[in-house]
Amino acid sequence: MHISDGLILNNTSIVLAVIMWILSISILAWSWKKAQQTYTRSITALLAISSAFVFAAQMINFPIAFGTSGHLVGGTFLAVLLGPYAAILSMTLVLGMQALFFADGGIVAFGMNMFNMAIIGGLSYFLIKALTRKNSDQKWFMSSVFIASWISVMLGAVITSFEIAPAFSGGLAVTLPSMLLLHGLIGVGEGAITTVLVTSIQRLNPTIIGGLSLLKGRTDKI
Amino acid sequence: MRKTLVATIAIVIFLVVLIPFASSNPDGLEKVAITYGGQEHQSLWNGIMADYSFFSIGNQYISTLLAGIFGVLAVLVAGLVISKVMASTHKNTKKTPAIHEELKSQQVTTD
Repeated sequence: MHISDGLILNNTSIVLAVIMWILSISILAWSWKKAQQTYTRSITALLAISSAFVFAAQMINFPIAFGTSGHLVGGTFLAVLLGPYAAILSMTLVLGMQALFFADGGIVAFGMNMFNMAIIGGLSYFLIKALTRKNSDQKWFMSSVFIASWISVMLGAVITSFEIAPAFSGGLAVTLPSMLLLHGLIGVGEGAITTVLVTSIQRLNPTIIGGLSLLKGRTDKI
Repeated sequence: MRKTLVATIAIVIFLVVLIPFASSNPDGLEKVAITYGGQEHQSLWNGIMADYSFFSIGNQYISTLLAGIFGVLAVLVAGLVISKVMASTHKNTKKTPAIHEELKSQQVTTD
């Protein structure tokens, strides 16, 4: 879902790109402040390691239908692991390196990509929190993780459709349905991988998880 | 530090094993652009390892793997720096009573 500069270097999208830069940087600054307030020592190595892992995981595209592939975005995964604010920082870091070194996602489009993947991904934390407020059993928690992952991908796809629409002669009528169709499938992959990752981390290292954000919030409310 | 090293090695192994299985089909957004002929302009910046190819290494597997390892290390180092900066600035704010209380309550719940 990384928007390249090639797709948005038209008059309408450039204006949008500038707005998204400003919006995303503001939200990033807010996340930094919030992450700092809720900082715990246990997050230090975890933030770096989980960011590096998400970078690696994003390189592994899985095939879906129609000769198309998708890859894990990892926003919801990071949100479960690090909490919403650190997740936004972490994902921004991944997207930044991708844009800087690998031209995966543009520089002008960076504000858009940040919003579509880092910010929406990080904020999906609150969806899981809302879904598990009344019922916190393990199965429903995992279902909520799946739902939040899927929705974060779909929401990112919807916003992307608007952002890239000016590059297509058919406009939004072309980009929105096709983006939704493909990302509806990619989102299932996202949900499946995220649930497997969260389950395995819970099993492998319950003590690490125990001190952290969402999984911690399940037992004693933050 | 040791945990970080072990985790990094695990991530590199993850890449070594899975890169050959990665699909080379266009991703969702690329597919939309190809199918409906999105107007592509010249990009402003093409990176130094576009498409995850490590400079001029011919073997695609090795090339992608090296680019991946480079990226993993870059993200890891930047992540550690950011955490360290956050940790150091966090200590300075510790004195404010409100945040101190918040910290205290957090420590209780962490233990």
